[in-house]
Amino acid sequence: VVRLGSKRLLAASAAVAALVAAGLIAASVVGARSDEAGTETAPAGARNALAGEPELLRGIPQRGTALGSPKAPVTLVEYADLQCPYCAQWARDAFPELVRDYVRTGRVRMVFRGLAFLGPDSDTALRAALAAGEQRRMWDVVHLLFANQGPENGGWVTEDLLTRVGAAVPGLDATRMLEGRSSPAVERELGSASTAARRDGIAGTPSFLAGPTGGTLEPVVVTSLDAAPFRAHLDALLAR
Amino acid sequence: VSERRLRLAAAVVATAGAAVAAYLLAVRSGGAELVCRTGGCETVQSSSYSELLGIPVAALGLAAFVTIGVLSLVESPLAWAAAMSLALAGVAFGAYLLVVQVAVIGALCDWCLVSDGLLTVLTALVLLRAVAAPAATTASRGTSRSRA
Repeated sequence: VVRLGSKRLLAASAAVAALVAAGLIAASVVGARSDEAGTETAPAGARNALAGEPELLRGIPQRGTALGSPKAPVTLVEYADLQCPYCAQWARDAFPELVRDYVRTGRVRMVFRGLAFLGPDSDTALRAALAAGEQRRMWDVVHLLFANQGPENGGWVTEDLLTRVGAAVPGLDATRMLEGRSSPAVERELGSASTAARRDGIAGTPSFLAGPTGGTLEPVVVTSLDAAPFRAHLDALLAR
Repeated sequence: VSERRLRLAAAVVATAGAAVAAYLLAVRSGGAELVCRTGGCETVQSSSYSELLGIPVAALGLAAFVTIGVLSLVESPLAWAAAMSLALAGVAFGAYLLVVQVAVIGALCDWCLVSDGLLTVLTALVLLRAVAAPAATTASRGTSRSRA
């Protein structure tokens, strides 16, 4: 007879629970370690061959096209084409500093609206970046693509480059990223960025809007592509 | 408290836990913004510990709460044992994730804490059922022996 709550049944339940818990914990530890190892061992060659800082955004929350705490008081929206040289200049000269001083500190949240109007390489690159957004790593891929940008429509966005970029990003499953480039979520985001660009009257890239999170965003007048004008604009918004 | 009431209470707590897990899962899938008092929810949710073999931990939590809830409604010692196993495993894994949040990620997700709390209450209810169970709640392996 097996009675509910009998010592034998309770012991069996505890034993099964211990096995299940041990399996779950082992899988979690192994999974987390392979994420780390994925960036530190396997793609070491790939990382060496790439410009940019794969660790730049480590630990900063991301969701889809958003970077930084959703509670940040100010939101900065960037419209960019991954082939646009001025966008790459901004990504090199302003972005790391703004991330360090405003995003990492939880004061500014950034949203990327990717456009692909310069040519086929723009579309190929953007789709990969948006697919990485499914794994909360879009901004890492955008950062590395800008850092390794090639000549406009020169065929620089190769499968090899995307694979190396994917492998260099901490915690990103590069294969899953490449497979997700035509997913419904990517198509939806492509459409929504184009619609937003028309609504915001975007005439070129890079273009920026900033304002209180959840409130009305206004265009940022870009006088130079380093961090200084953005600092002034963001500081003014944060002081309100 | 009767065993029947404890079973119903367990089902109610399991439903609440499933709702919390479903909310975390929905936000992870790109829905609304996560309401987070500690500010660490996004950090925890975007860490490599928020997935297990490619499956979001919130999805595992949802499956566990639903399964325990359903098993709690079944009047059978084996269903109780299955619920007990799952609940204890969930509490142990939850404790591990709590340590990870504090010691590794350095951020706390308050929804995860709510989920942990509900799972602990649920485990206590399942355990209490064993105390409150009438002696008649048995699964016979041999009718002749149980009648003897």
